[in-house]
Amino acid sequence: MLTRLAGGHIVDPANGRDGVGDVWFRDGRLVAPPENGRPDETYDVAGMIVMAGAIDIHSHIAGSNENLGRLLLPEQRYAAFEHAGHVTTAKGAWTTAETGRLYAAMGFTTVVEPAVLPEHALHAHLELADIPIIDKATLTVLGNDDFLLNLLRRREGGEAVRDYIAWTLATSRALGIKVINAGGAAAFKDNVRSFSLDDVVPEYGISSRAIFKALQKAVHELRLPHPLHLHCNNLGIPGNVETALATIQAAEGLPLHLAHLQFYGYGKEGPRGFSSAAARLADAVNAAKHLTIDVGQVMFGQTVTISADVLRQFNARNGARPKKWIILDGDSNGAGIVPYAYRANDFYNAVQWAAGLELFLLINDPWRVFFTTDHPNGAPFTAYPDILALLLDRSLRAEWMTKLPKEAIEVTTLPSIGREYTLNEIAIMTRAAPARLLGLRDRGHLAAGAIADIAVYAPFKDKAAMFRNAAFVFKSGELVVRNGNVLHQPFGRTLNVHPARGRAIERRMRDYYENRYGLSPDFMTVADLAIGRPDPFETVPCLS
Amino acid sequence: MAGAWIRDKPATLEAATKEAAKLLQASRMPLIAGLGTDVAGARAAIALAQQIGAVIDHMHSAALLRDLDVMRESGMMITTPNEARLRGDLLLLVGAGLVETWPEISARLFEKSSVLNSRRIVWLCPSNGNTEAHSDIETIGNNPRNLPVMLAALRARCAGHAVRNDTPDLRKIDALASELPQARFGVAVWSAAENDALTIEMLCGLVKDLNATTRFSGLPLAPGNDAAAVQQVSGWMTGFPVRTGFGRGDPEHDPWRFDGVRLVDTGEADCALWISAYHPMAPPWKREVPIIALTNGLDCFDRPPAVAISVGQPGTDHDSVEYLAATGTLAFSRVTSRANVMSVADAIGGIAATLPVPSPC
Ligand SMILES: [Zn+2]
Repeated sequence: MLTRLAGGHIVDPANGRDGVGDVWFRDGRLVAPPENGRPDETYDVAGMIVMAGAIDIHSHIAGSNENLGRLLLPEQRYAAFEHAGHVTTAKGAWTTAETGRLYAAMGFTTVVEPAVLPEHALHAHLELADIPIIDKATLTVLGNDDFLLNLLRRREGGEAVRDYIAWTLATSRALGIKVINAGGAAAFKDNVRSFSLDDVVPEYGISSRAIFKALQKAVHELRLPHPLHLHCNNLGIPGNVETALATIQAAEGLPLHLAHLQFYGYGKEGPRGFSSAAARLADAVNAAKHLTIDVGQVMFGQTVTISADVLRQFNARNGARPKKWIILDGDSNGAGIVPYAYRANDFYNAVQWAAGLELFLLINDPWRVFFTTDHPNGAPFTAYPDILALLLDRSLRAEWMTKLPKEAIEVTTLPSIGREYTLNEIAIMTRAAPARLLGLRDRGHLAAGAIADIAVYAPFKDKAAMFRNAAFVFKSGELVVRNGNVLHQPFGRTLNVHPARGRAIERRMRDYYENRYGLSPDFMTVADLAIGRPDPFETVPCLS
Repeated sequence: MAGAWIRDKPATLEAATKEAAKLLQASRMPLIAGLGTDVAGARAAIALAQQIGAVIDHMHSAALLRDLDVMRESGMMITTPNEARLRGDLLLLVGAGLVETWPEISARLFEKSSVLNSRRIVWLCPSNGNTEAHSDIETIGNNPRNLPVMLAALRARCAGHAVRNDTPDLRKIDALASELPQARFGVAVWSAAENDALTIEMLCGLVKDLNATTRFSGLPLAPGNDAAAVQQVSGWMTGFPVRTGFGRGDPEHDPWRFDGVRLVDTGEADCALWISAYHPMAPPWKREVPIIALTNGLDCFDRPPAVAISVGQPGTDHDSVEYLAATGTLAFSRVTSRANVMSVADAIGGIAATLPVPSPC
């Protein structure tokens, strides 16, 4: 069937389009306007904004840790998420089905779950398989695992690390590799309570810096499309901007993605010894062209922080709101689940909110700054429309600031920033750039050949309302959302990479698991047959 | 054994499926209970509950909820079986039921690990016979009813507080209290099947306290019949553990209201789909309601259920994803030659397909 979206305002930065025109698609793919072709159906989208489906590169939507969060917080299921006066109708994007529906209603069609522990990969993929409509991908977490730390201690060199990464990706069916407070979870098992870039994991004598750099280099050499995805040390601590700046320095020009950078944008200035250092961080990001970052914007309201940075979560446990928390020492990383309510009248939370917006607005290349709340850590993803509205409208930001503690805003640069995002920049940040960062050539744009993942928004004066309920969303050419209502719930697929690896690694991993754990490593393998849906995976090519 | 019955008469699978759908459709308040099944079976059962507005409950909900109640009241520090095995230089085993809940516990935890030089094991109030083969395990106490008091005393002593002189086994508890903070990575192990909530709460509090100065964690053992996997599936599909109802559309969770046995015995539930795929087992309630049984054969029933469809054992008769006690994860097991049996997911899929499709809301 040939479909035409007629007369919309096409915002497709990957192909340099920003004006009125048509979009055509057939059998799930975009096609060039056929010469005297007649569409089987036409949607009149005149006056509406037409973009590719949005792509979220970092949102904790599935897996054993998220599920522990659900079990810890049954009350969260009932809580409407409140954000500075707005109450969304979403009853907590808390189940797999709701996750898919709510993402789709906003025009998102691909989402990356960024923290899957290898031993829980099957669990994560089972949850992802139950999330309807959207396509998914995972990043597998390494950097606190005994096998890798031993390779580094023995200085086994690049090939061994590359083979191990390739084996892990194949076993866990991931699109890339993330490292979370490299060495920190392993050190915490040895009763270490703080862990920075040059601290050393006691049992192994390897520094956090050495771990992340070995992984960064190996990921680069394996030609994985997505660079190493790094969650730095010292998350959330006053003065941690120094850690982030040192980490940027340490990258030495190789590609690197820094996750939820807002949580590292803190200085020690001001009357409370806590200030936004986002402006300094933005300068450093602007200068480091090999670097990409996502923000991890904080919004006010109840949420739950779910992180494999078990050391950080242990240190944050006494701030739990409500007062209950889970700390899990896992086989490698583990997890900390600490509920939290960001409050508009809380000095620290207001600084965090402002620091995130400063990063969005002061990093001048929209191709290198990514749109996230680190769901659910900074805010649930249902807050996205409100954040987009803040980026598009400086008077809205000014209005919010009047409701926040004055002394908090004074330790930020936010009031001095006049920039407003254009729709073209929004489309870069949420479509074109994520597709490029993840190596998804047929997504994030509207040229012929791309998957017909399309979001159409009706122009409202209230920009948050506009982005919350898309007028039309097509997933692989199928109309799945109309005026924010989900019409169909097809199941998408999960994207993964398969870099080549040496043959010896199979034997080696088998021996290692049998010696260390008395187990075969097969329990970690994510088989297609285990997923329970037809054709659950799609392979993304490595870079040539 | 493959087979299907309506009452005690052998029936075709098709006829039994139709009869089951008819009973569920006629029900005002259907219950899906037992839930002794794998991930695929749990997914199908919960989807069916959603479709027909049923309540879901597991045969081991009581144990699941004892751990969960402590967790969602104040949280918990926990670790994995592998970390306990590799790193646990002091294992504090608590109460009865450990070997019964996890038969491999001796091989997995009591032996020396490949990494540790030595391991100390102390067992508070073990069940009879559990420690016989292990002379190096020190036991303290033998009356499980004393456990909450003993743990309270242990926790108080660890915190440097005084305790009552008549606390059972006080000398040994004092010695243990001075030993626990010396552990490098201690692990407390318990089974909620045999311990009450007070014991679990006290133990989890003790573990948290010990982390003020050293590392200590907990290892709750999961009850059988794949309860842990079903709990996980329920978590992601409904946002809640089992004992969740769909009677009003959106899922609601209430451990008392949606207790399956209570629902049948009070007459609230008027039809039950009973699932026990790991071994033939009849439901524990007393009142009679029409039962659709997914288990193996009819022998376990005093009175034949309204409908019965034989199902195979997950991981033995057909491929399955189940909770693996050795790793504490969901894992896939491939069966090389599939037996000629239905899986729970197949059986429920057939029933669901026979029901009228609910109109989209
Ligand atoms: Zn994250």
